[in-house]
Amino acid sequence: MGVIIALTLKEAMRRRAFLGTLIILVTLYGLSFLPRAFKEAFGGDERQFELGVNIAVLFGIDAIKFFSAVLAILLSAGAITAEIERGYLAAILPRPLYRWELYLGKWLGVMLFSAANATLWTAMLWASVALQGEPRVEMWRALPYVLLYPILYGTLALALSSFLGASIASMFTVALGAFAYFSDHFLRPIAAFFDVRLLQQMIWLSEWALPMATLKRLVQIQVDTILPPGFGERPRFGRPDVLEFLNPPVQPLDLAYVALYILVALTVGLVIFWRRDVQ
Amino acid sequence: MWAIETRNLRKVYRPLFGGNPITAVDNLNLQVPAGTVFGFLGPNGAGKTTTIQILIGNVYPTAGEAFVLGHRAGALAAKRKLGFLPEKFQFHDFLTAEEFLRMHGRLAKMDRTTLQRRIDEVLELVGLAERRTSKIREFSKGMQQRVGLAQAILHDPDLVILDEPTSALDPLGRRRVREVVQYLKERGKTVFLNSHLLSEVERSCDQVAIINKGRVIVQGTLDELLVNRSVVRVELRRVEPCVLEAAAKVAQKVHPVDERCFTAEVASEDDIPELARAILDAGGALIGLQAHRETLEDLFIQTVEAEGR
Ligand SMILES: Nc1ncnc2c1ncn2[C@@H]1O[C@H](COP(=O)(O)OP(=O)(O)OP(=O)(O)O)[C@@H](O)[C@H]1O
Ligand SMILES: [Mg+2]
Repeated sequence: MGVIIALTLKEAMRRRAFLGTLIILVTLYGLSFLPRAFKEAFGGDERQFELGVNIAVLFGIDAIKFFSAVLAILLSAGAITAEIERGYLAAILPRPLYRWELYLGKWLGVMLFSAANATLWTAMLWASVALQGEPRVEMWRALPYVLLYPILYGTLALALSSFLGASIASMFTVALGAFAYFSDHFLRPIAAFFDVRLLQQMIWLSEWALPMATLKRLVQIQVDTILPPGFGERPRFGRPDVLEFLNPPVQPLDLAYVALYILVALTVGLVIFWRRDVQ
Repeated sequence: MWAIETRNLRKVYRPLFGGNPITAVDNLNLQVPAGTVFGFLGPNGAGKTTTIQILIGNVYPTAGEAFVLGHRAGALAAKRKLGFLPEKFQFHDFLTAEEFLRMHGRLAKMDRTTLQRRIDEVLELVGLAERRTSKIREFSKGMQQRVGLAQAILHDPDLVILDEPTSALDPLGRRRVREVVQYLKERGKTVFLNSHLLSEVERSCDQVAIINKGRVIVQGTLDELLVNRSVVRVELRRVEPCVLEAAAKVAQKVHPVDERCFTAEVASEDDIPELARAILDAGGALIGLQAHRETLEDLFIQTVEAEGR
């Protein structure tokens, strides 16, 4: 299996996907120095500067979540069917290894690679704000949950890639992600104020189909202390049940559901790959 | 023990969205003795590649069973002693020839020192020793096929399955493949090879099976299949009906070609003098007589065409 992991890592290194995300992130990285730059240019008090750093950190975490998930999707969506169609696997599979070894090897390779990237990016962001005199340990507390993003998306894309080509598998994963995002950011506020059953069912469904909002909340509670005013604060008016619906608290089982989801996606993809013809 | 055995093997491809199912392999029964070089022949679409993919465990049969080296096809124990060169070979082309072979050696669980020695040996065998540090991407198609062959024999397997190993090779490369096959045979290995170059097969194989539409139509040693039927080309000043009649008493089949020539198929070479005598006795003015041993190509065309009718 080590050979397959190494091969997957090698493949990932030479893929442009990795360079693309890195370039975008380096560009965004410049932004994280803005608080200091602003302070030097326009003055401003300590409180404003601190706020600027917090915003930079929150924004940076969002970017890391997003790009590590994209990276994982790009690397796993073409891992099985696309490689079968290209003819790579027909030469590897006759070797004495089980199909699950190949599948898990690829999975681990992609996970290691995107997790390493996300960790590196977090370190860069941390260094940037630390250099400005405002270290933020919250980022490191959030990192394990941030890593769940590439794991979740990569596992899903890999499972889909066991029977779909690279572009369809990645499109499908992105579409599911977009649905989850849309439902959490647009449907939820609407559903909070208009008591439409269908809407609530859709939100519930999207949460089961892809527990992205759950992940968002899991990350959020780690960085709660640095939330600037207006971000994620509980509104003061309204019925408590509506408020709770708008901003549901993290349940103990949330993390378990995410873990179960990843496990099920991994198993389903594996079983499909196990049963299919490689030709 | 058979190196390869299939029992009523069957593979049906069912299109996902409607369309007619395709029976690629249909009740195929095959027995390949260990230590032989076995030619697996058949027209395009006969089901050769599909059968091979089942044997190496890449494709699951719809029905029937396949055994490789005494194990069920696809089992780890079978794969350990198996080398394979795919028909549509496409390798991880960002690796160099050496890295590629090292990866395969590690997948085959070879130890480090043996692996290094074998890499040198097989690269030498396929004629790529000087290009070992070039990336596979920079190789020509034929060179890639050679790397594929090197990969197939790297771990000293007992059974080597080659699906059209010479499709991209020049005449020198083809000769090299013949030499590699010979090298394997001398070491007591079984080689199962599928090729459309029948003269190559005739030169290197001990046994062949010809399949069509997923079924075996002929199987046997080349000696059995070819020696018994000699075709004699007879040239006369003029082909008279009485001569043809006389020849038909000795020969199994007589085909008039033109007014100066006919061919006669005799059961064995021993019948040829008698055939000549019969022609002369019937008053034929014999000018020339040439025996021509049936080639694999003749056999192939005859059997496949007969099947088609
Ligand atoms: N993946 C597949 N899906 C559907 N049909 C297939 C598939 N692979 C092969 N077939 C069909 O199965 C039949 C046998 O194909 P196969 O590739 O085994 O032939 P072959 O004997 O290797 O031919 P060739 O000499 O051209 O390589 C063909 O009719 C082909 O169309
Ligand atoms: Mg074929």
